[in-house]
Amino acid sequence: MAMRKNSFAKTGLLLRFYLRRDWLKILVWLIGLAGLMAAAAGKFDTLYGDAKSMASISTTLKSPAMVSMFGPFTAAKPYTSAIIYAAEMMVFMGLFTAMMNIYFAVKNSRNEEDNGVAELVSAHAVGRGSQLLAATIEIILINLIIGCVEALGLQASGMTGISANGSWLFGLSLAAFGIMFAAISLLCAQIVSSARSATMLSYGVLGILYVARMATDVKNPDLTWWTIFGWIEKLDVYHDNHWAPLLLMLGFAIIVGAFAFFIAGRRDVGSGILPTARGRRNASLFLAGPFSLLARLERTSTIVWLLGLFLLGASYGSIFGNVGDLMKTNPTMARLIGHAAVASANRVVVLSFASTLTIIFAVVASIPAMMTILRLNTDERKGYLEQLHARGVSRLRIFGTHMLFATLVGTATLVLGIIGMGIAGNATLAHPIDLSRYLRGFVGYWPALFVIIGITALIVSLVPRLQSLAWLLPVYGFFSLYLGELLNLPEWAQKLSPYGWVNQVPLKTIDWSTAGWMTGLGFILIIIAYIIYRHRDLKIN
Amino acid sequence: MAQAVVQISHLQKNFGKFQALKDITFDVHSGEVFGFIGPNGAGKSTTIRALLGILKTNGGQATIFGQDVWKDAVAIHQRIAYVPGDVYLWPNLSGGEAIDLFLKLSGQKHSARTDALIKLFDLDVKKKCRSYSKGNRQKVALIAAFSTAADLYIFDEPTSGLDPLMEEIFQHQVLQLKEAGKSVLLSSHILSEVERMCDRIGIIRAGEIVETGSLADMRKLSRTNITVQTTDALDDIAQLPTVHGFQAAAKIANKASFAVDSEALGTIMTTLSAKHIISLQSTPPTLEDLFMRYYNQEGADGNAQE
Repeated sequence: MAMRKNSFAKTGLLLRFYLRRDWLKILVWLIGLAGLMAAAAGKFDTLYGDAKSMASISTTLKSPAMVSMFGPFTAAKPYTSAIIYAAEMMVFMGLFTAMMNIYFAVKNSRNEEDNGVAELVSAHAVGRGSQLLAATIEIILINLIIGCVEALGLQASGMTGISANGSWLFGLSLAAFGIMFAAISLLCAQIVSSARSATMLSYGVLGILYVARMATDVKNPDLTWWTIFGWIEKLDVYHDNHWAPLLLMLGFAIIVGAFAFFIAGRRDVGSGILPTARGRRNASLFLAGPFSLLARLERTSTIVWLLGLFLLGASYGSIFGNVGDLMKTNPTMARLIGHAAVASANRVVVLSFASTLTIIFAVVASIPAMMTILRLNTDERKGYLEQLHARGVSRLRIFGTHMLFATLVGTATLVLGIIGMGIAGNATLAHPIDLSRYLRGFVGYWPALFVIIGITALIVSLVPRLQSLAWLLPVYGFFSLYLGELLNLPEWAQKLSPYGWVNQVPLKTIDWSTAGWMTGLGFILIIIAYIIYRHRDLKIN
Repeated sequence: MAQAVVQISHLQKNFGKFQALKDITFDVHSGEVFGFIGPNGAGKSTTIRALLGILKTNGGQATIFGQDVWKDAVAIHQRIAYVPGDVYLWPNLSGGEAIDLFLKLSGQKHSARTDALIKLFDLDVKKKCRSYSKGNRQKVALIAAFSTAADLYIFDEPTSGLDPLMEEIFQHQVLQLKEAGKSVLLSSHILSEVERMCDRIGIIRAGEIVETGSLADMRKLSRTNITVQTTDALDDIAQLPTVHGFQAAAKIANKASFAVDSEALGTIMTTLSAKHIISLQSTPPTLEDLFMRYYNQEGADGNAQE
């Protein structure tokens, strides 16, 4: 007993310190997540107040394309705004809650070890497991607080069909879902040996579970029980209000968390359980300059991104057969318009789904590109770039290298996502669509990707301390385009991010003039960013 | 002396309101080892980073090989080798890869000399940089620098993580560079190292160069430590204006230690011999004495050499 007490000594002190250090970040996430939920809830009665719009949205939500993005719409009539709200928001909120948890879990466990802070702390009279326990308790508290605020926000919105039972189920289930992903992420942080790898592995797990739930939702929702992510779709909020999945999530979180603690107690600080391989004696011929260096450093993550986007595209493509089958999804309409018309209507449905997916690919493809650009600052601060600067490598070359690599990796991921979608989609379609038609989406959205690269570059050179702000771009883009249509966001709000400036490709034709000026804008932003970067101090440590 | 490789005049650098460099002026001549010494936070690394064009200065001028350190950074960097005090390496590269990359970036190749240096510094190059200690990361940068054929070598506290054996190897390598006629700028606070290798020294304090010159010149300006025992009483010695830090021995009569301004050494000796010297020890001022004297200039003037 004394042993146990010792190994968690001073946990309370650490916890208070963590909370004081992170309160602003917690507040930002709280406002972002709970604020979004409450704001959307306040709007739903005006959106779906009458029977007609209710009927139309419920038909829409039952279509395979919508099911793939929001989960199956299983509620029985009579529908209320609250039921529609739960169906539309649950998967989306789950996704963002999981992201928040990956962020905090990695930051407060692995990142501390990378910085060497963990070593300093554990040299004091602090238990071996105290830091992990404090991080875990902090994350549980964050989730509980945000979950409760979300529930209260829902209650306050006064949506039609709302019930206290349902609101608390909604909020607390998101909390449980978050805690579950925090546990997964903490486990990942024990397995690998750096914060970067831990984040990548956690997102990998999240991505696989998300895609798995999409596939099972479209094909056989019963199988979704096996996807873990799908548990939040089984709550039936504001209707039958099942609390069982919440307990399932908590149980799973406890098991995974216990496993994380088990490993943490058996490994050395600063290392993972996977051994670090021996390196090369000499550099390969290929490793000869800043570009090949960046490529070498980003090798693993680039492969993961390329492969990941291709698979994401392919999994979405694999449901094209279901999406583009009006005979099944809307038999009445199909019979009305006749055989020939059905085929062309199917094509329109598939292409408009492909348009939505292309936006998602463009947003996701921005992430590796942005990560490469942000590296310019983080590597500078970590001191890695000092030797480059001191060795006859000009700032232009270092800056240009990062821009070029970012553009290449972003472009390649976007192309592969679309190609994966096209190939897998055509395999399931009775009347395949030309790959070149799908690639219109690439031509249309590439300029948006390029503008994002330009804005990120500008943020990196202008306000290096606040460079995380750049992440607002893809987050907002994802939100406005994923939910914007359903929330009936005004046009200006959808146009706040560059993704919103592009027309609906590949369904429509490419708007060359928009593509042209956006590309030009991207170039101008990058040039301005370089001029600023050229004239500022480099920060080391 | 030969022409200056590094010329710095009235260099200034502010970080916001903080004046990190107030007035830095010194030259490094061709073929000499210049020691740059000063306490932590005095501005040694800031000066060096300004010289490397990593920091943009707010005033004054700095050139290397006659070229502006900010505008012509790339051209300059092709002729220099630099080792920072804290070496940070990409965690997923091996030490060997990092060394080769650094060489290639300077337009050089992995040579027999590189292999010899790896052996000399006893570095396991197949290890990933993530698992290197501070000293081993420094070795990577040192090996890369010493096997680079440069005209100017800049070392910023290069031995802070090395063991005494490796420090010896480092000093030996620097002396070889000196023999080969290379110029070296060595910032350090290990004074024995500087004393052994450097031709000239610059002392920096709170962003200002307070003294430059050869060690011999500085000794002339400084004080000699004397411990003496005489038959007659020494009391009047303590009153002399050229004597500092006078301390009488507690148990032995007429024994004391003090420091004398070097130019007054002759006069003091005459006075002492009149008192019948029993024993006398005189030590020239060490660099440490010089250093401490400049450190403590405000206030505790006389005690500087104790």
